[in-house]
Amino acid sequence: MKFFPSVLFLLLTAAGVTSCKINSLHSTNKQSCCSQAQAESPGTFTDKSVYQIQTTWTTDGGNQIKLDKLGGRPQVVAMFFANCQFACPIIVNDMKRLESSLPPASRSRIGFTLVSFDSERDTPAALAEYRKTRALSAEQWTLLRGNPDDVLELSALLGVKFKADANGQFAHSNVITILNAQGEIVYQQVGLNQDIQKARQTLQQLVEK
Amino acid sequence: MKCSVQKLFIALIFVISATSQSSGQRPSVGSTPSGPPAGMVAIPSGVYFPLFRAETDLKEIAVKTFCLDIFPVTNGEFLEFIRSNPRWRRSAAKRILADKSYLKNWADDLDPGSNAPVNVPVTSVSWFAAKAYAQWKGKRLPTTAEWEYAAAASPNRADGQNDMAFKKQILQWYSTPSAEKLSAVGTNRANFWGVHDLHGLVWEWVADFNTAMVTGDARGDTGIDRQLFCGAGSQGAKDVGNFPAFMRYGFRSSLKADYCVHNLGFRCAKDL
Repeated sequence: MKFFPSVLFLLLTAAGVTSCKINSLHSTNKQSCCSQAQAESPGTFTDKSVYQIQTTWTTDGGNQIKLDKLGGRPQVVAMFFANCQFACPIIVNDMKRLESSLPPASRSRIGFTLVSFDSERDTPAALAEYRKTRALSAEQWTLLRGNPDDVLELSALLGVKFKADANGQFAHSNVITILNAQGEIVYQQVGLNQDIQKARQTLQQLVEK
Repeated sequence: MKCSVQKLFIALIFVISATSQSSGQRPSVGSTPSGPPAGMVAIPSGVYFPLFRAETDLKEIAVKTFCLDIFPVTNGEFLEFIRSNPRWRRSAAKRILADKSYLKNWADDLDPGSNAPVNVPVTSVSWFAAKAYAQWKGKRLPTTAEWEYAAAASPNRADGQNDMAFKKQILQWYSTPSAEKLSAVGTNRANFWGVHDLHGLVWEWVADFNTAMVTGDARGDTGIDRQLFCGAGSQGAKDVGNFPAFMRYGFRSSLKADYCVHNLGFRCAKDL
């Protein structure tokens, strides 16, 4: 019986912390929309930029790139793994819906990036195969793999939770993140098959600046 | 203000257990050529049974022999790190890597001051800062499995699960609000492996803190909360009597990597 009150307390606490953080994320967004003056060369991204992480990743073409190579244009980012049987195809589909909802002029100024949880199986060749199967355009889409430590770090930055299970699958949260050109998180869509209007508007505003 | 009060609450929640099996061999402490580096002990290999798992989760996780810091990292040690890594000074740290509470108890960038004595665990550090420190030391953060496995040991046994005095002591710590001022490291008795302060001083970051609270069902992350925290659902847990492990699990799952909490510190691990 003693257990129950403490659990209730725990849940309330966790909920409280979450709302507190969401507030701070909103204030971040307000600032970020006005800080376009920041230079976009590596190393000079803002304090709120995901590109503060200087890790190196491998593309499906086998090229090594620093994360900040993605900067300079808004990016729609999701974490996934190619063997995913359920959620990831839907996440990718949501991103493709988002891509096709944009007018061509805007689309060409936005990047779409998929980063794999599965450092072992998602080799550049496996990612290249995934690009082909899913018809992801070379101009817009970047597919990345990294070492497990860097994957964990990026997921922590994006607030994505994941865990390998016993069947070689990964349980993971489903989050699509929109980064502005500086790499600041301006919007996150959580869940699958969501209404993409808000995400679309966010991107539209970013490219119209 | 709201945030700091909430953090205080989280801070009240975090520390012990998980059942474990091991060879029961007490490890050697010290810095012999083939042994663990100074300040660390070798924890022999064993098995960690996750407190809670979904159907598809691993039932047990093998923990390979590894080295673990004997004490949590102190303010004094963290100061050395900051001296060598100016980008981790309080005034220079990137906001995305450490929230505004980063090292808030320090007097200045290079002065821990009287509120953060050099022999007391460093707290109010984010996961990114802890990770950077560990890398700088040529070490890494322990995994949840490693930490829980090491922390399952009582002063006299590798597996403290049935050591009632040990369990009681930890619960007592959990039910006491954090002291205004933290004690120096090493004040608590060493456990079976020779590691101090895994319980009773500060909460500690683990490398994979963000793997807690993910369901096997990728459609949502709510299932496990229900299973873990609704009375009957907790039957799915490995050891329903292990309140401290529930609390640590809950605490970890409420963290984000940039959070800096006043009683959350860390220690490092290393492969042997």
